[in-house]
Amino acid sequence: MGLGAIVVVGAELESIGSTAPQESAPLIVEPLACIEVLGRSMLQRTIERFARARVEVISVLVPLEKAYTVPPISTSFENVSIQVVAEMNPAVTQKLRDFSRDGVEHAFVMSASLYTETDLLDLFYFHREARQTATRALDSESPLSLWVVETDKANAQLEDLLAPGTASYFIRDYVIHLKEARDLRRLVGDSLRGRCAMRPSGAELKPGIWVDEGAEIHRRARVVAPAYVGREAKVMEDTLITRCSNIERGCCIDYGTVIEDSSVLANTHIGIWLDVCHAVANGNKLMNLTRDVTLEIADRSVMRTNASAREESRVNSFDFYEAQAVNSDLNNAVGQKIEPRTPKAWQFGAN
Amino acid sequence: MYSRGPVIVMELPETLNHAEGEKFISELQPLLEVHRPRIVLDCSQIQHMDSAGIETLLYCMQEAMKRDGDLKLAAVSPASATIMELMRVDRIFEVYETAEQAARSFQAVPTHEVPQDLPWYSSGFRLAELKIAS
Repeated sequence: MGLGAIVVVGAELESIGSTAPQESAPLIVEPLACIEVLGRSMLQRTIERFARARVEVISVLVPLEKAYTVPPISTSFENVSIQVVAEMNPAVTQKLRDFSRDGVEHAFVMSASLYTETDLLDLFYFHREARQTATRALDSESPLSLWVVETDKANAQLEDLLAPGTASYFIRDYVIHLKEARDLRRLVGDSLRGRCAMRPSGAELKPGIWVDEGAEIHRRARVVAPAYVGREAKVMEDTLITRCSNIERGCCIDYGTVIEDSSVLANTHIGIWLDVCHAVANGNKLMNLTRDVTLEIADRSVMRTNASAREESRVNSFDFYEAQAVNSDLNNAVGQKIEPRTPKAWQFGAN
Repeated sequence: MYSRGPVIVMELPETLNHAEGEKFISELQPLLEVHRPRIVLDCSQIQHMDSAGIETLLYCMQEAMKRDGDLKLAAVSPASATIMELMRVDRIFEVYETAEQAARSFQAVPTHEVPQDLPWYSSGFRLAELKIAS
């Protein structure tokens, strides 16, 4: 008896095959599941959870049209493969068949943008006892993008396999579906306030203040708990980081700036003497969550992307996914399994 | 004034204006002049506070921060909270409902995880050396 997992990035599993809707001038181009939140992306956390649940093989599927936006994913867990696919439905079905052929009898199918703290093994045992083709998780509000599926039934159409009418597993634990930037803020607030089990990377140096490796905080900066300062982020003199704010990897908060109830996403530079409240900042874009407005700021002294780190990441990303896409096309043609590039070491944090 | 382990809890006077503020600072000053002072100011007695009172709070916080310590507020009345909000200093302080909670919050991290003799932003915590801007 084997257990596998298929994690879908950048596509809505409610209607598999269609990519997640995109705003006209989006604050974040990448799928939200790939955005680093408190040090690690939701995708990394999902992979880690499956690895902990002793899932033997994990397959991450990325739609081709989103591939260039997905940053490289590295993991120390050896049985993770990442595949760029032209069409999601046939790819999921094919992956289930592959699992079946390799002796993996059951598989989780999950959207990477879903964060749930339910016991995955309990879900699996529930499914096995229910003796249904598939079991879908749901919470008090709606069905969730998380199923357990019998892989040997994968000859059926995926829509039928995952259709309503399958067994339902009710989740009482914490659940959040990242659909928009506002959800990122909610998740950060819940995590920093201890409302969910997700913990920031790095160390809790003072009660409620999490600081990741290589971060620099000026002694005249004030960080009010709870807050998170990410890897290699710089918090300069006379700044104030307060009310569940998170400063992600490689950010710089310049002199005298206040970050209140806000998320500053990776590699963002915020200029001097600014007051960023109830917002999500990403590069030169700022979304005010109170007014639900996204601004693109042209003045580089106010807000900008920390170009060097960002570009390096982007270049790697392009190389990686172009190679993957070519592999994907070739492998689709001959029906072979795609071999992922050798993963780099991935350090697990405090979680 | 009473002490709970290394955390000092001090009650603020009923009126926190310029005169009372100075008197209060003179009382608190010796307690601030230690390494990593951990101070809780109990605001439950405050009936009246003006901008000089706010300045007193900021001064105390600044002195604590200079010595790698911290200052937290407890039992802030709605009236005081409004004044602090209007002056936009509410976000600078950690505020707790009771002095007990505030004192406990200083000790939430097990001491064995944090070296006690190093400033928390130093390389001793695996953080890079602090770069002082010129």
